[in-house]
Amino acid sequence: MSSGHMAGVGTDREHLLREIERLIGAGRAREPMSLETAACEIVVEPETVEEIAEAVRKCETDKITLAPLGSARTLSQIRKTPVALGVSLARMRRVIAYEPDDMTIVLEAGSTLGEVNRLAAQHRQRLPVDPREPERTTIGAMVGAAHAGPARLSEGTVRDLLIGVGFVGHGGRLARAGGRVVKNVAGYDLMKVMTGSFGTLGIAVEAAFKVRPIPEDYTLAVRKFGRHNEVFEAAAALNTALSLVHLEMLSPGPSAALGYDYDWVLMAGFAGNRAEMDYQSAKIHEVLGSEARLLKGADADAAFASLRDMEFPAEGLVAQIAVRPVELLRCVRDCSGEYRAHAGSGVAQIWLEEVGEGTAQQTVSRWRELAHVCGGNLRVLQAPETMRGEIEFFDRPSAGAFGLMKRLKQAFDPAGIFNPGCFVGGL
Amino acid sequence: MSRDQSSERRTGRALLAEIAAIVGGDGVVFRETELKTYECDGWTMERSTPEILVMPRTATQVSGVLKALYRRGIAFVARGAGTGLSGGALPVGAPVMVCTSRMNRILAIDPANRRIDVQSGVVNLHVTNAVKSRGFFYAPDPSSQVACTIGGNIAENSGGPHTLKYGVTTNHVLGLELVLPDGEIVQLGGAAEERCGYDLVGAVVGAEGTAGVVTRATLGLLREPESRRTILAAFPDADSATRAVSAIIASGVIPGAIEMMDRLIIRAVEDAFHVGLPTDAGAVLIVEFDGYAAGLDERAGAAVEIARQHGATDSRLARSEAERALLWKARKRAFGAVGRLAPNYVTQDGVVPRTHLPKILREISAVSERYGLAIGNVFHAGDGNIHPIILYDERDPGQVQRALDAGREILRACVAMGGSLTGEHGIGAEKMGEMPLLFSPDDLLVMAELRHVFDPDERANPNKVIPKPGACVEVAAPRRQVPV
Repeated sequence: MSSGHMAGVGTDREHLLREIERLIGAGRAREPMSLETAACEIVVEPETVEEIAEAVRKCETDKITLAPLGSARTLSQIRKTPVALGVSLARMRRVIAYEPDDMTIVLEAGSTLGEVNRLAAQHRQRLPVDPREPERTTIGAMVGAAHAGPARLSEGTVRDLLIGVGFVGHGGRLARAGGRVVKNVAGYDLMKVMTGSFGTLGIAVEAAFKVRPIPEDYTLAVRKFGRHNEVFEAAAALNTALSLVHLEMLSPGPSAALGYDYDWVLMAGFAGNRAEMDYQSAKIHEVLGSEARLLKGADADAAFASLRDMEFPAEGLVAQIAVRPVELLRCVRDCSGEYRAHAGSGVAQIWLEEVGEGTAQQTVSRWRELAHVCGGNLRVLQAPETMRGEIEFFDRPSAGAFGLMKRLKQAFDPAGIFNPGCFVGGL
Repeated sequence: MSRDQSSERRTGRALLAEIAAIVGGDGVVFRETELKTYECDGWTMERSTPEILVMPRTATQVSGVLKALYRRGIAFVARGAGTGLSGGALPVGAPVMVCTSRMNRILAIDPANRRIDVQSGVVNLHVTNAVKSRGFFYAPDPSSQVACTIGGNIAENSGGPHTLKYGVTTNHVLGLELVLPDGEIVQLGGAAEERCGYDLVGAVVGAEGTAGVVTRATLGLLREPESRRTILAAFPDADSATRAVSAIIASGVIPGAIEMMDRLIIRAVEDAFHVGLPTDAGAVLIVEFDGYAAGLDERAGAAVEIARQHGATDSRLARSEAERALLWKARKRAFGAVGRLAPNYVTQDGVVPRTHLPKILREISAVSERYGLAIGNVFHAGDGNIHPIILYDERDPGQVQRALDAGREILRACVAMGGSLTGEHGIGAEKMGEMPLLFSPDDLLVMAELRHVFDPDERANPNKVIPKPGACVEVAAPRRQVPV
């Protein structure tokens, strides 16, 4: 069944391809490749906002589903069935404005985080969001899926850094909110609404961010532990003693995969000027003992990159749990999987290398219950292909909040075409 | 000037009785004389008294009151301490005012998770006071923090000097309890850092009270920095001071705060508080670094050197916590000090990209000359968030109009430089007319759609933020009587 199309409307794929090409130009539509095949039936690569608006209007009129597409890593997981049209912004990756002295950058949403940070590094600055594989992470995907990484502890997440957004919504309308200044409360905060909306409210086309200075120096402290609770205790002590850049904990599986021993590993990053580095190094040794290994310079950078880009097992069931920080220990223990935990933030990715046929949703439900007890929620990041159909990827908000979310979706997407059916509660 | 007595009341005895039954007789104010206190907030250009003021103690009471209003189609406005500077708590077509001042309990302190749960009427500074002994603080610190409430901060997404490094209100609110305009109580967000579904907490913070009434909030706390260095640097003029601001930030570390005061403010503050500011300086910067004691001397030294290179004639470090506290007291009370210079003043809240500060300050002084009004500047220089204080005398109607026009001209200049109408005070009733300078009709339409998700009938703080197409948004007469 070509279920990317709405029931009762029989636009076939070939016809749609031709229609889109007619609408926004030959050569702009193509067959999906690799991961994209699970996300959409046709990929369209517009070059302008107006072309996106044309596509959106067309889809609304003909009830054709569409979704913004980065490298399809998230969309290919969460979609039970592909949308008809994947809107790739691969041809919209301009830096619209970068003002190093104002420390702001405005980007087209097709830019990748990697290329943005190579540019910013020329001015000793960075957009300090560190999801996996920045070269494959488009700005649109980073905002849409609210991607984050270890540096959330010190730098916050997308929602803290996004100062302006533009998106094409229903009716093909381009709407902007925020602006290009670091402090701004004029108008409603659509930046927050778009962050983590998974393409269900429109196609983000541009985004403005605060950038931050790259610290003078960075060191990564690594210390292994023989027991699960020891690594948590050490992390808690460090988090009280220091203001770290990141504070990561790995269970034995990922720790061995990254080339450390098959043990629990603590990876604490710290930064600053020379006096601050000396102080923090001493403090780290005081808390972690002399066994803590301090990686510096290129070694630290390389170790951090492999931590950041760490791969989850291809056939695994992977979820992100977010709870009250002190309860993270209990959660990851009771979930009894492998994990990478952001201590201090109360967020961890947990996984099982494999799950038995038909038990995936059962596992997710058990994990989710645990998250709820600890004041949080759980979102599935990845599941084996054969089990995706049975899994609820998103957690359920409270009834009152969900009522508002339904109204929000209805208001922003009255035709129900923007990545429908796979977000919270089937929105 | 009080509300027009002849205007028709939209609230009757039955409603009054119903509300009194919900909140108790002592929780309702309806006598004209007693309502006078609530005729305006910190934006004093316009005044309008509500017909009824309600002071509930719980979310359930708020819900009961809003249900009673919903059944009658009556609009309302929430008010915290009334310190807002954009008329956010001014009733404009809202006969009922819901004041959160009695919802002032701190509900739970959770130092291990760095969270605190408070009712929305809790005073900003009381949050930090409640956790200080355990080594924590609540970051947003508006100048009015001894009085303003968390609920008001949430409505306006308030900032303060230290938001340069630590962010504004929205960066520190994790969860909210919100009573929708139809009386439904909803829980948004929670104690965890990741949200489930759309970020409705982010949508409500800064919505200026148009989403309903926030009754409770879960806030994030930060660790008190180990140490601080606070520098007072004197410059011959505002131009050199603002150039130093960009250079200090560009040098590679975000200071805790960078504040600027110009000559007029320095003198007013010095007259009022005698803190030892250099009254011959054209401008001073207060630059504060915080963090580990170990690195701070080097950071402060570098900033002093940058200041010197940019023309600072004198830079000194606060030598004690008492001296530092005095500097901040002077800064935060600057607005009050200005009260001694003229019968009235109005504060603007524009934002420019930081590097445009010298340009906007020149523009402000040109505006001052053109309109024949003194304008002082005391502001969050690190954020590019200006606060020109326009002095006037309300007894002279010509001056009032000139003060309004001068303010608008400054805001237009901010927007023209790529900035914004407001950095932390909100649009309120004050700047609605300027919104089209910043946003297209489509932008405003989509924002209105978001507002309608929470408040489809526009009964929560109506006639704010988004101008109505075709509606007259100009202040027709200074200190107009707002129709309630």
